[in-house]
Amino acid sequence: MRIESHPILTFKKGRKVKFTYNGKEMEGYEGEPIAAALHAQGVKVLGYSPNRHRPRGFYCAIGNCSSCLMVVNGKPNVRTCVEKLTEGMVVETQRGKGDLK
Amino acid sequence: MLKSTGIPTQKDLETVVPSKERLAKGPVAIMECFEKIPCNPCYTSCKRGAIKEFEDINDRPQLNVDICNGCGVCISNCPGLAIFVVDETYSETEALVKIPYEFSPLPEEGTYVTGLDREGKPVCRAKVVKVQNSKAQDRTPVVAIAVPKELSMVVRCLSLDDYYSDNTIVCRCEEVTLGEIREYIRKGYQTIEEIKRISRCGMGPCQGRTCSQLILEEIAKATGQDVADLKVHTYRQPTLPIKLGLLVGGEDDE
Amino acid sequence: MIKTDIAVIGGGPAGICAAIDAAASGARVLLIDRNSQLGGQLIKQTHMFFGSQKQHASKRGIDIPGILAEEMKKYQDKIEVMLDATVLGLYEDWVLTVEQNGKYKKIAPRAIVVATGASERFPAFPNNDLPGIYGAGAVQTLMNVYGVLPGESVFMVGAGNIGLIVSYQLLQAGVKVKGVICRSPKYGGYAVHASKIRRMGVPIMPQHRVIYAHGKEKLERITLIKLDENKKEIPGTEFDIETDVLCISTGLTPLGELLWQIGCEMKFIRELSGHVPIRNEEMETSIPGIFVAGDVAGIEEASSAMVEGRLAGLCCAKRLGFVNPDFDELKQDYLKQLHDLRSGPEGDTIRKGLAKIVI
Repeated sequence: MRIESHPILTFKKGRKVKFTYNGKEMEGYEGEPIAAALHAQGVKVLGYSPNRHRPRGFYCAIGNCSSCLMVVNGKPNVRTCVEKLTEGMVVETQRGKGDLK
Repeated sequence: MLKSTGIPTQKDLETVVPSKERLAKGPVAIMECFEKIPCNPCYTSCKRGAIKEFEDINDRPQLNVDICNGCGVCISNCPGLAIFVVDETYSETEALVKIPYEFSPLPEEGTYVTGLDREGKPVCRAKVVKVQNSKAQDRTPVVAIAVPKELSMVVRCLSLDDYYSDNTIVCRCEEVTLGEIREYIRKGYQTIEEIKRISRCGMGPCQGRTCSQLILEEIAKATGQDVADLKVHTYRQPTLPIKLGLLVGGEDDE
Repeated sequence: MIKTDIAVIGGGPAGICAAIDAAASGARVLLIDRNSQLGGQLIKQTHMFFGSQKQHASKRGIDIPGILAEEMKKYQDKIEVMLDATVLGLYEDWVLTVEQNGKYKKIAPRAIVVATGASERFPAFPNNDLPGIYGAGAVQTLMNVYGVLPGESVFMVGAGNIGLIVSYQLLQAGVKVKGVICRSPKYGGYAVHASKIRRMGVPIMPQHRVIYAHGKEKLERITLIKLDENKKEIPGTEFDIETDVLCISTGLTPLGELLWQIGCEMKFIRELSGHVPIRNEEMETSIPGIFVAGDVAGIEEASSAMVEGRLAGLCCAKRLGFVNPDFDELKQDYLKQLHDLRSGPEGDTIRKGLAKIVI
């Protein structure tokens, strides 16, 4: 969900872009973190931990922790809380440690 | 206690509430700042010099109530939003309370809101007399509401929900309020049948005669439908409360 | 290799002020920050700041980076800003290695101000890693920077200033706040912040702790337990609250990794919330030429971080021979401002902590 009106803030948004999340087409704003765009559409589970396969979501939002790692454009371990959304990005749930190609 | 609940005690308040005589003279600031913290914008913002110069930035504000004319400039400058202005001379029965209100949407002048106390409990219906939102106030608007005079030192916040509507009883048998019905609708109970089951509205002695129309209207309003299109609840026997014995006894000729 | 007089690491309130004062003294400054804009945590703070006019009291946190940027413009020929740049390492030969937009860079400064801020503390309870459980900073970032709501209803853990302020900000964004808990009998934040949310109907619940988070894929419910006055759990007092968001604001801890790397003498000071560098009143660490400012030197408010930044910048420049003509006057002013900000009862803990670390 996005904030419609705020008493203090006005939000500068980039242009609307399309991306895919696990093959499903979604929309977000260019330049916002991938995880924020996913969150706005109710996607809270971003990946599963490598060893115990526990669901993982947004936690620190500033690139400090490992909670938001996803596979982006085929590249694993992308910190989606700081990585900016661009047109046509392919975003996928990460399961495990991810393989470098 | 203030430091465990966030609610100032009567004792705290006694240190900031001006005398009856002063309140009878007109508007005055009530500085509900009870803790020594490093902060002084109230002093720097008062052009009348009603707030004593801080010797130490941690001092609590000391207001000279004879110099203060209740202009309210300090309200929007207080980072703690702890300053209010009370005018007990507003009318015979009502006092004006000026409250910093940083929420959106802002109430409109002339409408009614609910006056909340320092615990956030609804205590009265209040008319919005003025909404000040100038550039100088820098996004801390001040809303002036008229409250019953005896609540001038009680009301410190407001909610846009109309007091009377949210607290209005819709089902007198089961004592269910409109506010509760709205909450159920918000949670997804959007037919009268569902609301009946979760709230017992319509299951009391009157069998829905007073509440069902009101609830249907509320569902229609919340979901953007027409009452005519809404399903009514199932009507079941009996239509009035009776003793089971009446049924057990059977018909006279049985 | 990029050469500069002073590298300031971290572009939050402390770092920006350090850069300004160092440049005002005549030094060339490289200000490095990992984000795309300067301001650090200020960019999420919608509330008005405390303090006095010198620390921009009564201005909103979100507006302060702009005010400081104006001031920086005066020294634009002296200050170079490097954004989206994360300092990876600080080596014994005083070389800083940096990652910027996928590129590796090296910087050789003659002196350094470390203003890297803090990271959030994380309490341990079962399922604390469930999606739906966020650090308070994350909730602020989502909501106040990107305009995205964390969920429908929030329960707040921690009632220091951050917990209370973020609760208020959630209300402003239109999110229901179900309650705020803390472990001690008294909440830690300012009373005015507590009163602000209390009168909006948010219960403040001291002497409670989260003992369990429930949910399969994401948070659905939490279990709380009551604590006695010594923060001991009272058996049998457990109860559940439904919520899709749990916000954690149980405090910050100084982010001193770079100081450890280069070998500054560090000490664990509980009152300053973690390991902090030993330093003198000019904010210079045990290694001459390496200065600190802001939360990395001990967790405090942004107002004191700004003043510490100015002090560190001023003194760091002097260390390299760039002596501000008003050095003595400015230094005394900054020291006095810091003294004043810390002189009240709320500054007790800070004063005790500083007494153990400032030599």
